[in-house]
Amino acid sequence: MSQEKPKESSTLIDLQAIAEAKKLFLQRVTWVHHWTDSLFSFRIERPDSFRFRSGEFVMIGLEDGNRPLLRAYSIVSPNWEEHLEFFSIKVPEGPLTSRLQHLKVGDYLFLNKKPTGTLVTDALKSGQRLFMIGTGTGLAPFLSVLRDPETHEKFDEIILTHTVREEQELAYREFLEEQIHADEIFGELLRDRFTYYPTVTRGEFRTQGRITDRIQLGDFAKDLGLIGNRFNPLTARVMVCGSMAFNKDMASMLKEHGLQEGSNSAPGSFVVERAFVG
Amino acid sequence: MTFIVTDPCVKCKLMDCVEVCPVDCFYEGENFLVIHPDECIDCGVCEPECPVEAIKPDDEDTPDQFWLEVNTKYSEMWPNITRKGVSPVDADEFRNEENKFERYFSEEPGDTD
Repeated sequence: MSQEKPKESSTLIDLQAIAEAKKLFLQRVTWVHHWTDSLFSFRIERPDSFRFRSGEFVMIGLEDGNRPLLRAYSIVSPNWEEHLEFFSIKVPEGPLTSRLQHLKVGDYLFLNKKPTGTLVTDALKSGQRLFMIGTGTGLAPFLSVLRDPETHEKFDEIILTHTVREEQELAYREFLEEQIHADEIFGELLRDRFTYYPTVTRGEFRTQGRITDRIQLGDFAKDLGLIGNRFNPLTARVMVCGSMAFNKDMASMLKEHGLQEGSNSAPGSFVVERAFVG
Repeated sequence: MTFIVTDPCVKCKLMDCVEVCPVDCFYEGENFLVIHPDECIDCGVCEPECPVEAIKPDDEDTPDQFWLEVNTKYSEMWPNITRKGVSPVDADEFRNEENKFERYFSEEPGDTD
């Protein structure tokens, strides 16, 4: 009696054919973690030849009617990590995230071969303090940059802010408040040089409200013991990652403080990237 | 929405944008590049990379959407470009000149890839 091929393996062969035709990697999912009903993280195996700079994003996705359906995702992992981790929201009507949220260990994802982005230390001039200002899933690239030893060579101090609506949406909080300080390498490297500054816009929280408001009202500077509530163009370097409106607000504030936007070809004092959704 | 390549690129074609595009949506003419509007994912990484500030979001196009039309038309005709090639040797001379499109634009395809 001839044995029928299990459905799983034939699906995998189809996916491999699409990946080959579209010059994509096809990578196995190794870990999935749901933070809340609307936020989750997952990891895939990293291809040996896949190189990226900490803070970059890459297109990843699933098969959709024999074609790849890809979206840009910031890589949470630092560039030395063996796997690739991503942080995503779940959009009920989102073509990709509505399906991605059901991801299980052992599933496969397409991974584009060309990571890119502007939230890289290469796009910033050296400075004293690096501020990484993120909202929602815009935290993702900063988790990568934070764990790149080069970041700590270039800057004396790192301040990472994360603004969400409700306290439970502070994903990676335990990691940023505790685990990273217990880490063999980073515990030492970050001692007295790293501040995690979460803010929550709905509900009671010790540091409440939008980060833009807290900066402008001076609460941010006061909480951190900084002098004045403006960014100093000579010493402050800033990375911004959030919604389109948030990025615009932050960029105009920074320009008003005298900071200049940088890029890979011309490093400056701040860089902006939107958090990718959908 | 998409990003579009506009006048300052003509005769300069520095191609820094090509290196950073995650979806390789640039197409190459002899002395100009265009973005394929249907392939652009609107990530905006190319915009600050352009040394001559030729790349803009399409909501900053002329009212008659001239540049969107140029980008749409030539991205269908020219070959895809996925890596930075050699810029014209006289690129610097044309860097600050305005209204270059009507004077110098060439419909001929480029040949980097």
